[in-house]
Amino acid sequence: MRPVVVAGAGMIPFERRDEDTLVDMMAVASLKAMDDAGLGDRAVDAVYVGNMASGLFNHQVSVASALVDRLSLMPAAADRIENGPASGGSAMKNGFLAVASGYADVVLVVGGEKMREVIGPKATDIVAAMTHPQAEYIYGVTLPALAGLFTRLYMEKYGVTREHLTMVAIKNQENGLLNPYAHIRMKITMEGVLKHPQAHINSPVVADPLHLYDCCPVSDGSAAVLLTTEEIAKDLKKPIVTIDGVGQATDTHTVHERSDPTELKAVIESSKKAFSMANAKPKDVDVAELHDAFTVLEIAESEQAGFFPLGEGAKALERGDTRIGGKLPINPSGGLKARGHPVGATGVAQIVELTWQLRGEAGERQVKKAKTGFSLNFGGFGNNVLAFVMRRKS
Amino acid sequence: MNTITAYKCKQCGLVMYPHHFRCLKCHAREFEEITPSEKGKLLTYTIVEQLPWGIDERGRVLGVVEFDNGVKALGVLHVENPKMGMKLKAGWDCVRVIGGEEVYGLTFQAA
Ligand SMILES: [Zn+2]
Repeated sequence: MRPVVVAGAGMIPFERRDEDTLVDMMAVASLKAMDDAGLGDRAVDAVYVGNMASGLFNHQVSVASALVDRLSLMPAAADRIENGPASGGSAMKNGFLAVASGYADVVLVVGGEKMREVIGPKATDIVAAMTHPQAEYIYGVTLPALAGLFTRLYMEKYGVTREHLTMVAIKNQENGLLNPYAHIRMKITMEGVLKHPQAHINSPVVADPLHLYDCCPVSDGSAAVLLTTEEIAKDLKKPIVTIDGVGQATDTHTVHERSDPTELKAVIESSKKAFSMANAKPKDVDVAELHDAFTVLEIAESEQAGFFPLGEGAKALERGDTRIGGKLPINPSGGLKARGHPVGATGVAQIVELTWQLRGEAGERQVKKAKTGFSLNFGGFGNNVLAFVMRRKS
Repeated sequence: MNTITAYKCKQCGLVMYPHHFRCLKCHAREFEEITPSEKGKLLTYTIVEQLPWGIDERGRVLGVVEFDNGVKALGVLHVENPKMGMKLKAGWDCVRVIGGEEVYGLTFQAA
């Protein structure tokens, strides 16, 4: 396989974006990635679009074809890739494979979702359509509900407390304040969302034991990267950043069928595969972007991806190891919690953040001397997960 | 009483719900259809305050139950103070209206 370089990265701020259509958002993010790469008018061979549900959110399908038209990239190949909340990660994998295999030399990968076109309960229902139709969906299961079932078990098994969950939210919202692309740019405190007599009003229950500030917001947004070969990238001005490992793994559709529901097998397997392909170990990683759609997931993933032993993720958080400046900064972007989670965009936004971090372009949230990065994009409730290892080469 | 149909692998005995075309453990394709026993214990639960479009309700308790015969399934709990590990008795009731049609599923009460 050929090495794959992230030559360009770009995104638009995640927020509620009533003025833009989904395809507009993806086109603007794409242009930013293309301009950032500096390849001029060189042809793009293939486009992979990560999007979960444009048909349901926006009543538009075939959005990859629509995007190449808006960008005048014809006759580039174009596909929309759907893998739930890991659609962006799956689009990244497909773009990676196209360049690595020699099928394409220049590939645009775009993730995008416009979720705020429908009202909140409708968005909740659309996202819940990824659950099992007979065994889960009919009962009113939501993604926060599955996370609630998981969180109660995780707290009981590993002694994770609501303080620990809130520490994730506080850290990631602090990081989000340093990220101009973040949806939620507000400092919160343990007092305000957990301890104060009014805390239950500030952070009401969503799916007990998870409260509002344990959950990522519902966002509109898009992120894009331009992938190419080392040969083409060597003439470009930016530092060379490569994708060295890609892992993907699946688990049972329903959470209740897992023999130990606290074990996220697809996280464990996808991470192992990514590290193995990159010939790297978790201890080599300088910065990680994990899929904190719910606060508990940052803790669980930090353990099961291999960074901390089981049950130690919360202790690492207490010690400050995962803050910017700590031993392993996790989610310097603010993560899904603060950057936001336009579902199909997230897996690509994580790669954009790592590219900026590894190039040293992350501004106030820059992790010093970051050479190796890791990202994890968690689809379904852990039934389809992608992991990536990236390195700075020059 | 109406209830769900679960599947017991004829080769290795694994009990599965919902249906798979191949056994999760041994990949065999022959199953005995079984129904859950009357009672079970609560493995985990959540109280959902923000329900999806179409369910005009707050504070719905959802739980994962392991029946005495090994079937595991999710259902709606009609229980005031759910406790991990508590014994529950299964019922069958309308759990959601989808497209004007009542959809029935598992419900649970304290045993
Ligand atoms: Zn079997």
